Amino acid sequence: MTKYVIRRFLGLLPTLFIIITISFFIIRVAPGGPFSREKALPKQILENIEKKYHLDEPLIVQYGRYLLDILRGDLGPSFRYKDHDVNYYILNALPDSMVLGLMSLCLALLLGISTGIVSATRQNSVLDYSSMAVAVIGISIPLFVVGPVLMYIFAIRLDLLPTSGWIMADGSWKTAIMPVATLTLPYFAYLARLSRASILETLRSDYVRTARAKGLSPSVIMFKHILKGALLPVVSYLGPAFANIVTGSIVVETIFRVPGLGIFFIQSAINRDYTLIMGTVIVYSVILLIMNFIVDIAYGFMDPRISYT
Amino acid sequence: MADTAIKGKSVKETQLPLDQFGEPIKGVSLWLDAWRRLKKNRMALIGLSIVILYSIIALLAPVLPIHSYKHQVLDHQYLPPSFTKTAGQLLYERQEALFQQAAKDAGFEAMPAEYVQALEIFREQLATETQEFDGVAVKVHERRYYLGTDGLGRDLLSRIIYGSQVSIAIGLIGTLTAVMIGLIIGSLAGYIGGTFDYIAMRVVDVMYGLPYMLLVIIFMAIFGRNIINLFVCLALVSWLTVSRVVRGQMISLKNSEFVQAARVVGASPGRIIFRHLVPNTLGVVVIFATLQIPNFILLESFLSYLGLGVQAPMASWGSLVRDGVDAVSIYPWMLFFPALAMTIFLFSMNFLGDGLRDALDPQSKNVL
Amino acid sequence: MNNDVILKVQDLKTYFNTDDGIVKAVDGVSFTLAKGETLGIVGESGCGKSVANLSILRLIPSPPGRIVGGEILFHDRRVLKMSERELRALRGNQISMIFQDPMTSLNPFLRISTQVTETLRLHQGLDRMQALDKAIDTLRMVGIPNPEKRIEDYPHQFSGGMRQRAMIAMALSCNPEILIADEPTTALDVTIQAQILEIIKELSVRLDTAVILITHDLGVVSGMCDKICVMYAGRMVERAPTDDLFAAPKHPYTQGLIHSVPRLDRSSRERLYSISGAPPSLIDMPDCCPFHPRCEHAMDICRKKYPDETALTDKHRVSCWLFAESAAGGGSRG
Repeated sequence: MTKYVIRRFLGLLPTLFIIITISFFIIRVAPGGPFSREKALPKQILENIEKKYHLDEPLIVQYGRYLLDILRGDLGPSFRYKDHDVNYYILNALPDSMVLGLMSLCLALLLGISTGIVSATRQNSVLDYSSMAVAVIGISIPLFVVGPVLMYIFAIRLDLLPTSGWIMADGSWKTAIMPVATLTLPYFAYLARLSRASILETLRSDYVRTARAKGLSPSVIMFKHILKGALLPVVSYLGPAFANIVTGSIVVETIFRVPGLGIFFIQSAINRDYTLIMGTVIVYSVILLIMNFIVDIAYGFMDPRISYT
Repeated sequence: MADTAIKGKSVKETQLPLDQFGEPIKGVSLWLDAWRRLKKNRMALIGLSIVILYSIIALLAPVLPIHSYKHQVLDHQYLPPSFTKTAGQLLYERQEALFQQAAKDAGFEAMPAEYVQALEIFREQLATETQEFDGVAVKVHERRYYLGTDGLGRDLLSRIIYGSQVSIAIGLIGTLTAVMIGLIIGSLAGYIGGTFDYIAMRVVDVMYGLPYMLLVIIFMAIFGRNIINLFVCLALVSWLTVSRVVRGQMISLKNSEFVQAARVVGASPGRIIFRHLVPNTLGVVVIFATLQIPNFILLESFLSYLGLGVQAPMASWGSLVRDGVDAVSIYPWMLFFPALAMTIFLFSMNFLGDGLRDALDPQSKNVL
Repeated sequence: MNNDVILKVQDLKTYFNTDDGIVKAVDGVSFTLAKGETLGIVGESGCGKSVANLSILRLIPSPPGRIVGGEILFHDRRVLKMSERELRALRGNQISMIFQDPMTSLNPFLRISTQVTETLRLHQGLDRMQALDKAIDTLRMVGIPNPEKRIEDYPHQFSGGMRQRAMIAMALSCNPEILIADEPTTALDVTIQAQILEIIKELSVRLDTAVILITHDLGVVSGMCDKICVMYAGRMVERAPTDDLFAAPKHPYTQGLIHSVPRLDRSSRERLYSISGAPPSLIDMPDCCPFHPRCEHAMDICRKKYPDETALTDKHRVSCWLFAESAAGGGSRG
C-alpha cells in the first residue's frame, strides 16, 4: 500500500518538471520583456537591470539558476513589484483563494450529491425535472455572467449584499456569499447531474436487485449499497473539478475584488512579470497535482477491486 | 400475394418479408433507430430547433435587415432598448428630461423659454440630420435599436448576431479540430497498441495534469490576441478527452467477436478500422462533440472576458458580456441581452446533447 | 387447497411497456408449490420464467413493467396486495431468491460478512457478534472452507463457485420456506454446476425448504425436481411430476425439448434433433398458440386462439388443442 502511494507521488514529479520548463520557455521566448512597457530607460540602467536579474545570460543558464532556486523554495523577486519577492505576494494571496475554492467545492459536493440522490429516487417526477433543469442552466451560464447578474440584483438593486470585499480581509461574512455562490453553481450543477446518472445506473445493477430481494429498506439500500459504488465517478471528477475551480476562481476574484491569487496572475500576465507568472503557475500546479494525487488515493480506497501492488 | 395490401398496414409494409406469425419484419439501422428515439424527446427537439434557428440567423447575418455591427454613431451612445421609439425620440426625451431637471434645480416651475426653444431646434435637427453609411445617406435618427446600443453607439442586436457568428464558429471549428486530432491519435493508439500507444497516453496524462487554462492565458497574453492563436490554443487542449475515449472504445472493441469474424472472413485492417470500428465509436464521439461545443464557446467567452479573445471591432458573446459587465449598474441591457442570447444557445446545445446521448445509447435512457 | 400448499400462483400476467409495444412477458401462468417440494420451471431464454418468479417477490422494475393480472397467494396471503413493509418482511426471510450471475449479484464494494449478516440482523434481530457467528456457520454449511477467515473477503476474491455458495448461504441464513433459484448454475463451469445443485438439494432436504428451480437445462431438473413446469413465450404449456413428464410428455414443445437432448446411447452419426424455427418476439403477440409455427401438429384453431389448460390427470396438465376437451370447430390437421 505504501509502495503504491510513494510510486504515485513520484509520478507527479515529471509532470511538475515539464510544467516548469514549458512555462519558463514560453515566457522567455515571448517578445517583449518586463520593462519594455515603461518609458525607454537609459541604456546603462537597462544593462544594470538585466545584469541584476541575470537576463543577459544564456537561456540555459537562466533556466538552471531558476531550477536551483525553486528547489530551495525561493520563487525569486518580482520584476514588477519591487518591494517584496514573489513568495511574499503569493503567500499573502493564496489563503484567500484557497478558502474561496474549498468553500465552493464543499458546498457544491454537498448540494450536488443530495440533489442527485433525490432526483434519482424520484425519477421523472416534477422535482426531478425541475432540479435537472436548474442543473442544465447551471452548466450553461458562464461564471462571468452569473457573478455580475447576482451583483446587479443583490448588491445594486436590492442593496442586500456588499459589492466587494472579502471575509478574510476584514469584511463581514456577507461578502463571502456572492463569490461563493457564483463559484459553486456550475460545480453543483455538474455534480448533481453526474451523481443522478451514476445512481440511476447503479440502481439497475444486479446487486441492488439482490439487496431488494433480501428485504432491505430503501434508505439502507441507498446509503449502504448504492452510494459506495455510485460515488466513484464523482470522486474521479474531483480531480478535474479542482483544476476548473482554480481557473474559475480567477474570474470570481476579478468580479468581486477578492484579493486572491487570480488577480495577481492576470496582472502579472499582462505585465510580463516573469517571476510572478511562473511562481503563480508553479503554485497552482503543485496544488493541482497534490489534489489529483489525493483523489487517486481516495479512489483506490473506495474501490476494493483495485489492488495496491 | 405480396402486392395485395393487408388490411391495416401500408403497402410498403406488406412488401416486407413476413415472420412466422404473418407480421412484417421491420429492420432498423442504428441511426434511424436513434433518430426515432430522438424525435420523442421534446426537450431535445426544442434544443435542436433553437440551435438550427441560431445557425440560420448567424449564416444570414449579412443579408438580414439589421444595422451594421461596427458603425459607430456616437450620438447614440447607451440608448435603451425600444421597440416603438426611434433613436431620435429617445434622444429627444433624454434631452427634455435633462432640461426639466435643470429647470427644477434652478427653482423654475416651468421650463424657461430658452430651454423650450433649444428643444425645438433639437427636434428639427433630429428629424433631418443624416449620416453616410457605405456611401448611402441615411436619416440616422430614425433608426430603431431594438436591443439598445453600447458605449460607442453600435446597435446591440446586430452585434449579438454577428457575435453569434464568431462564437458558434469557434465552437464548431474548435470541436471539429479536437475531434479530428483525437480520433486519429486515439484510434491509432488503440488499434496499434504497443509503444505508440504508451507514448501517446503518457503525453495525454502529462497534458491532463497541466493547468492548461493558465498556459492558454499566458500564451494569449504574450503572443498576441488574434483569432488564429485562439483556435490553436483551444484545439491543443481539448483533443485529449476524445483521444482517450476513442482509444478506450478501440481497445474494448478490437478483440470483440465481430472483429474476429471480420478477420476470419478476410477483411484488411484498414477496412476493419473504418468500416467496423470507427462507426462504433461515432456514437460516443458525436455525444462528446455536442457537449464540447458549448464548452468551447464558454472557453472563448472566458478568454474574451479577460480581454484576451476577439478584439474590437469584432464581437463575440464573451466580449459583449465583458462590455456589459462594466456598465451593468447603469445600462443593464448591455449585459442582459448578450448573456441571454448565449445562455439560451448553450442551454439548447446541452439539451440536444443529452437527447442524443439517450437516443444513441438506449440503455442509459433515464440517465442525464 | 391442499394443506401442504404454501404458494399458489394463479393466472399471473406481467407486461412491460416498451417503445416498440407491449411485451407480454408472462401471460397467464399458474402453478402451486407445497412445503418442502422442489419445482422446476423450464424453458428457452426469454420465455418468461425469470419474470414470473421476480413477480412473486414483486421485484419487477416498475416502469416499464407491471403486474397486470392474476393472483399470488402465500399461505393464503395475497402478495399482490401487500404493502411495501409487509413485502420487505417477506423477502429474504420467508421467501429468498438467488440469481444467475454471482459476480454481479454480490455488491463488489462490501465484504461478504456485511452482506450475509445484513439479513440476519434485519430479520432476526441479532446483534453484530451473533450475526457474524451464525453467518460463519451458514458459510460452513454450504461448504466454504475456512469460513472464519474468508468471510472478511470481498466478492472478487472468491471464485465463481464459492460466490454462488455464498449467495446460497445468504439466501438460506434466515431459514426461508421457499428458495427461488434463478438459473443458479448457468454462469458456472460444468464441474461446479453439479456441486452447487448438490448443495441446494441437500440443504432443501435438511432445512425443509421448498425450492423453485428455474433453468433451461432439462438435465438439471430431471435430477432435482419433484415436479416440472414447461414455459413457452410467456405461457405455461405443460406441468407434471418429473417422472410423468419424461415418461410421457404430451405437449409438442415438451416432446421437442426432450428429444433435443443429445443421448449417449445413440449413434454419433445421427444428426442432432432441434426444434425448427425460433422463439417469437413477445411484442404485440396475436391471440393464438405461440408455438404453432414450429409445431408439427399445428391445426387451424391453433392459429386463432390460445388453448385452455386441460387436466389429463390430477397432476398432469397441458395447454394444447390436441388435448382440449372442446376442440371447437374441429378443423383439419394441417
